Amino acid sequence: MMPNMFKRVMLLVLGLLVSLASIISWAEDAKFFPYPYSVDRLPNQLQVVTVPLENQKLVALYIVVRTGSRNEVEAGKSGFAHFFEHMMFRGSENFTPEQRDSIMKRAGAEGNAYTSDDRTVYHQLFAKEDLDPIMKLEADRFQRLKYAVPVYKTETLAVLGEYNKNSANPVSKLNELTRATAFSRHTYKHTTMGFVEDIQGMPNEYDYSLQFYQRYYRPENCTILLVGAIDQPRALELTRKYFGDWKAGNHHPEIPAEPLPTGPKRAHLDWPSPTLPYLLVAFRGPAYSDTQKDKAALDFLAPIAFGEDSELHQKLVLKEQKVDMLAVDFEDHMDPELFSIYVRVKNPVDLPYVEEQIAGTIKKFSSELIPIQKLNDTRSRMRYGTALGLDSSNAIGGFLAPYIALAGTPDTVNKVFEVYRGITPEDIRSMTLKYLNAQGKVVVTLTTKTVATKETK
Amino acid sequence: MNSFRLLKTFTVLFVLGTSVLAQSQPTPAKRAGAHVEISEVTSAPIYRARILFRVGAALDPAGQEGLASLTAAMLAKGGSKKQSYEEIVTRLYPMSASFESQVDKEMTLFMAASHLETLKDYWVLITEMLTQPGFREDDFKRLKEDAINYLKVSLSNGNDEELGKEHLYNIIYRGHPYGHHNQGTVRSLEKITLADVNAFYRRYYTAANLTVAASVPRGLPVDFSPSVVSLADALPKSEMIPALRIPQPQLRQGIEIDILQRETRSTGISIGFPISVKRGDPDYPALLVASYYFGQHRSSNSHLYQQLREARGLNYGDYSYIEYFPRGMFLFQPEPNLARQQQIFQIWIRPVQPEHGHFALRAALFEWDKLVKNGLSKEDFEATKMFLTKFAGILTQTTDANLGYQLDSRYYGTPSFVDYIGETMKKLSLAQVNAAIKRHIGSKMPRIVVVTKDAEGLQKSIIANSPSPITYNSTKPVEILVEDKLIERYPIIVDSSRVRILPAAQAFE
Repeated sequence: MMPNMFKRVMLLVLGLLVSLASIISWAEDAKFFPYPYSVDRLPNQLQVVTVPLENQKLVALYIVVRTGSRNEVEAGKSGFAHFFEHMMFRGSENFTPEQRDSIMKRAGAEGNAYTSDDRTVYHQLFAKEDLDPIMKLEADRFQRLKYAVPVYKTETLAVLGEYNKNSANPVSKLNELTRATAFSRHTYKHTTMGFVEDIQGMPNEYDYSLQFYQRYYRPENCTILLVGAIDQPRALELTRKYFGDWKAGNHHPEIPAEPLPTGPKRAHLDWPSPTLPYLLVAFRGPAYSDTQKDKAALDFLAPIAFGEDSELHQKLVLKEQKVDMLAVDFEDHMDPELFSIYVRVKNPVDLPYVEEQIAGTIKKFSSELIPIQKLNDTRSRMRYGTALGLDSSNAIGGFLAPYIALAGTPDTVNKVFEVYRGITPEDIRSMTLKYLNAQGKVVVTLTTKTVATKETK
Repeated sequence: MNSFRLLKTFTVLFVLGTSVLAQSQPTPAKRAGAHVEISEVTSAPIYRARILFRVGAALDPAGQEGLASLTAAMLAKGGSKKQSYEEIVTRLYPMSASFESQVDKEMTLFMAASHLETLKDYWVLITEMLTQPGFREDDFKRLKEDAINYLKVSLSNGNDEELGKEHLYNIIYRGHPYGHHNQGTVRSLEKITLADVNAFYRRYYTAANLTVAASVPRGLPVDFSPSVVSLADALPKSEMIPALRIPQPQLRQGIEIDILQRETRSTGISIGFPISVKRGDPDYPALLVASYYFGQHRSSNSHLYQQLREARGLNYGDYSYIEYFPRGMFLFQPEPNLARQQQIFQIWIRPVQPEHGHFALRAALFEWDKLVKNGLSKEDFEATKMFLTKFAGILTQTTDANLGYQLDSRYYGTPSFVDYIGETMKKLSLAQVNAAIKRHIGSKMPRIVVVTKDAEGLQKSIIANSPSPITYNSTKPVEILVEDKLIERYPIIVDSSRVRILPAAQAFE
C-alpha cells in the first residue's frame, strides 16, 4: 500500500526512472496495445475490461478508482485518498479483515494497492480457480465497507509510519516543496502522501472517511480490469453476480483550477543530515490528452533531452562526472502537472553550473529541431520497450490501469498512440518553447544545512 | 494486429562448466559440462538471459572490500575495448535494452534482455562488454565514486531501513567472508585501483565460473546458441578456483545492540542471528512456513504485522526472513540469484515513532519468544502451507523470474522451485515445523540494530530495562492491553557494554 508518488521517488533515487513514453509500442501496422480486449458496461455504469491471454494459469484483477489526491479539495484533507486506500483493507459487512486475510492466504494470492494523484488502484494476482471467491470478497468491500472507530484511528498511525519511513529520503521533502511552490490552488499542491499535519489530524476524520467512501467508491467511478486466464463471458458473469447491485452515485468534485503560472519561482531546502545536493527544475506541463500533441511531444523531449543517451546526460554524468543522477518525471496527469528534471550533483559548488546547463539544453531544444534519426531512435525505443515490459498478466494490468484512470477506457491507449505517431521535430520544438519557459519554471534546491550556511557566508 | 502474444515460455538453460562455489552438488546430468536443457516454450519475441558468475563479495581480498561489485559495475556500466560507455549507451538506446548487474556474496549476475529484432547487435555488444572490458580510468573514477556515494549518502543518510538491515549483516558476520557490505567500505573503495579490478576479473570471470539461463524466442537465428559458447570461450583463461566453503559465524552468546544515530523522524529496528539452514536442507521447508506465518514480506497475512501494525498501529509493517532480501522497501517479492551457503533469521520492524522505540523492540522480541515457545497452530500451519504451494507459482510468474529461480535451484541442488515447494509442502507436518522452529530460531545470541535520533536516551532505557508503557489514540481490546503490560516490562537482558552507539555516517566507513 504505497502511494505511487513514493515509488517514483524511489525510482529516481535509484536513477532508474524511465519516462512513461518509453513503454509505448511503435509498429507501423499495429495498434498501440497489442492484445485483444473487450469493454463492457453494466446498467449501474460499472465498466468491465477483459484482456484474455492464452495458456495462462493466473488472473490479474485490477480495480481502478478514478480518485486520488487530486480529489482532496477540502482544507486539511491532504493525503486522504491514500489513507482511505488503507481503510479498504480493514473489513466489510461480510468479511472481517481476518476472514479476508484467510481467503487470500488460502488462494496463495498476491494483493496490494496504490494511490497516486489521479487514481487508487487495487490489484490482486491469483490462480484462475480462485477468481470467484476473490471477486466476491472484492465486491463486498467496494459496496459494504465497514470498520469501527478504533480500527480507523489505529490505521491512521500506520499511515503516519509510512510518512515517517519515507521521510528519511530527501527527495520526499524536495517533492513536497516543489509542489507547494508550483501550485497555489489546484490539489496537485500537495503530494499523494499529504502534508504531515493533515496526516496527524486524520484520527479525527472518521465521519469524513464514510463520506469519502460514499462519494467515490461508486460504480460509475470504477473499472474492473481482468487480465490473463479469463474470458469475457466469465468476467461479465462474475461482475454481474457480485457487483450488479452496486448503486451508482452522483458526486462531481470541483477541482480548483490552477491560474496560469507566474514564474520563475525559486525555493531552497536545508537538509539536516549529510546528502549530495539536489536540484529540481520543474515546469508546468500539459495534461494527458489522447487528441492533442502537447503532452505527447514533451514525452519525446524527456528521453531525448534528459535521458541516458542525451547530450546533457553524457556530458554531466559520464564525461564531466559532476552529476550522478539526471532524470525526468513527467507522468500523465488529468490536469496540468509538472515536467520535473531531477539532478543530484556531487559537489555543491557545481549547482549553478548544472542549472545553467539545463537552461542551455532547454534553450537549444526550444530553437533547434531534433534530428529525424533521434526521433526515429526514440520511436524504436518506445516500440521495443513495450514488448519488453508487457511480459505477464500482472504487467499488462499495471500498464492499463493508469490509462483507464485517465480517460475512463483502455481505448485511449490506441488513440494516444496515433498522436505519438504524428509527432514531428517541429512539434517537439514548439511544445518545448510553449511549456519549458520562465513563466512556468520552478527551481528547488536541497543541500545539507551546513553547506547552505557556508554558501550564505 | 497482434505483433506478439504471451504464450508459453520457451526457456533454455545453457549450462557451461561446473560451479566453483556450490556446496550442494547439482544432478549428474547438469555437471557434465556444456549442454542445453529446455524447460518451456514461448513465442514472445523477447530474449532474456541471466548470466551468472560464481564470484561475489565473499571473495573480496582483505582491504579491497567492494572489489567484486566494482568489477561487475565496470563490466555492466563501463566501456568495452571497442566501444566507450558513451557509445554503448547510444547503441542500447533505440533497442530499449539494458544490461544490469547484481552482486551478492557468492554470485554475480548480469541481466540481459532484448527484442528478437535487435538481439544480434545486442549480443555482440554485451559479449564485448563481458569478454573485452575497456577498463578505462574515467569509467573507473565514475563507478568508484558512485559506490562511495551510495555508502556514504544514499545508504547511510537516505534510507534508514536498508541502513539498519545491512549493518545487521555486518555485525553478525564480523570477521567472516560475509562481513562487509557488498559495495565494500568507503575506505576500502578509496584504495582499490583499476589494476585490482583487472586482476580480479582475470581470476574469476572464467568459463568454469559461468552459468547462463536464457529464455529463447521462437525464430532465434540458428547460429545464435553457439554464440553463448563463444562467450565462454572468449573469457579469461584461469586455473580452477577451489570451491569456497563458507563457515557458519561463531557469535558470542547473549544479545548485542548497535544504535545508529542520525537525524531522523523515526526509529527503525532490525533483529537477526545466523541459522544453519539454507534452501535444499531438510529443515528449509519447515522454516519457510514458520517465517511466512510469522512475517511474510509486505503482507497483512502474517502474525507480526497483525500484532504490531494492525492491532497497535506502531508502524507501516513488520516482517521476518530466512534468506537475504535486500531492497525490501522497493520490492513486493524477493529477487532470485542472491543464493548463499549461510543465512540468518531476520525480523524487520519498520520505523516507529521514537517514543515507541523501546516498546516496539520489546514487542518484536516478545512475539519472537512466543513463536519459539508455542510454534504454529494446526490452522495456521495448514493455511501457510497451502499459501506457499500456490504462491510459488506467483513468485516464478515472469520468464525472467523463472530463469532466476532455475539458477538458484541449480545452486541449491533442488528441483524447480515450484516442484520443490509443492513436493516438500505435501510431506511437511506441523510437528516438523514446530521442531524446526525450536531447533533453529530459538537463538540465544540475537544481534539488534536500531536507527534513531535519540540514541543516548534509548541506550539508557534499554540498559536500565526501564518500563516502556504505551498509550493509544483509540480503545483497544482487553487482550491487547493485557499483553501490553507484559511487553512494556519484557526484559532485554544485555550487558551495558554491548549496547553501543555509532554515528550512522560511520557504519560503512
